[in-house]
Amino acid sequence: MSERTLPSINLSLCTRCNLCVSQCPELALIMANDGPTFVDLITCSYCGVCEELCPTGAIRAPSSVNWSVS
Amino acid sequence: METDHINQLPIFAGLAQETRLDLARRSYIRALPAGHTLLLEGMPAESAYVLISGEARAFRMNREGRVQILARFKPGDPINIISLLNSDKRNRATIEALSPVTVLVIRSADFDALIARYPDFSNILLHHLADRLAKITDLAAGLSLFAVRARLARFLIELADLSPSSSGWTQDEIAAHIGTVRDVVGRLLRDFEAGGLIQRQRGQIILLDREKLIQAARE
Ligand code: SF4
Ligand code: SF4
Repeated sequence: MSERTLPSINLSLCTRCNLCVSQCPELALIMANDGPTFVDLITCSYCGVCEELCPTGAIRAPSSVNWSVS
Repeated sequence: METDHINQLPIFAGLAQETRLDLARRSYIRALPAGHTLLLEGMPAESAYVLISGEARAFRMNREGRVQILARFKPGDPINIISLLNSDKRNRATIEALSPVTVLVIRSADFDALIARYPDFSNILLHHLADRLAKITDLAAGLSLFAVRARLARFLIELADLSPSSSGWTQDEIAAHIGTVRDVVGRLLRDFEAGGLIQRQRGQIILLDREKLIQAARE
């Protein structure tokens, strides 16, 4: 997965509750007119907190699961 | 009659040429987009499928809308066999494409005819059913015997032991698989990370310590 992968936000499910914006540990999200938006392509660490907390399941941050190679 | 698409599917490796030819005659290929619902739970079972490419999942939803994922299918996996063999011939689960998929479709009447005529075809189905039964038994045992933390550890080990999957897993999907909810998965993943069992990188959950994970899976 590339360095710039970001979680996807389905704005049609978003209720603008602001939880993802307020709880993001990296301050990677701001609330724009049409819903939460990433401030840029690099601040988000893809930690999954927004996906975990979003009450409507609007945010998806899929991860593959692999063994460490070392 | 071309049998190339049949020959490519390992599940049909043991079929005699005559069976392959008839199977090729009685089946066809469909390409479907990601998100397409192949089957709806409770509806009449009209076809069996074999996944040729892409990924799909089987799930059931309860009245509150909570999803329990029953299986995730990868290329080569047969789909909806049990529903066609059951006397009520109703789909046992909803099947959804997780990526663009190509499937081999065998209509119900053709499926029945193949079973009636070709013991080697029936034999393949028997082996498949035995595999499914073993998996469903494991799933049921896991749900009843192990705590959510242990189920998550087991599930992560299983996923990492499988060949690499083309699409990743969301916390929702993991939760639906192990019979819990998304925020519990999120908390447990953080707990595993703090304990040095896993590391999360952008788009990847990397399992670091097999021993610790196996121990967590037994607790
Ligand atoms: S937490 Fe979910 S519903 Fe709330 S603003 Fe963020 S995306 Fe929208
Ligand atoms: S994945 Fe983590 S860092 Fe990225 S937006 Fe969500 S909460 Fe913020």
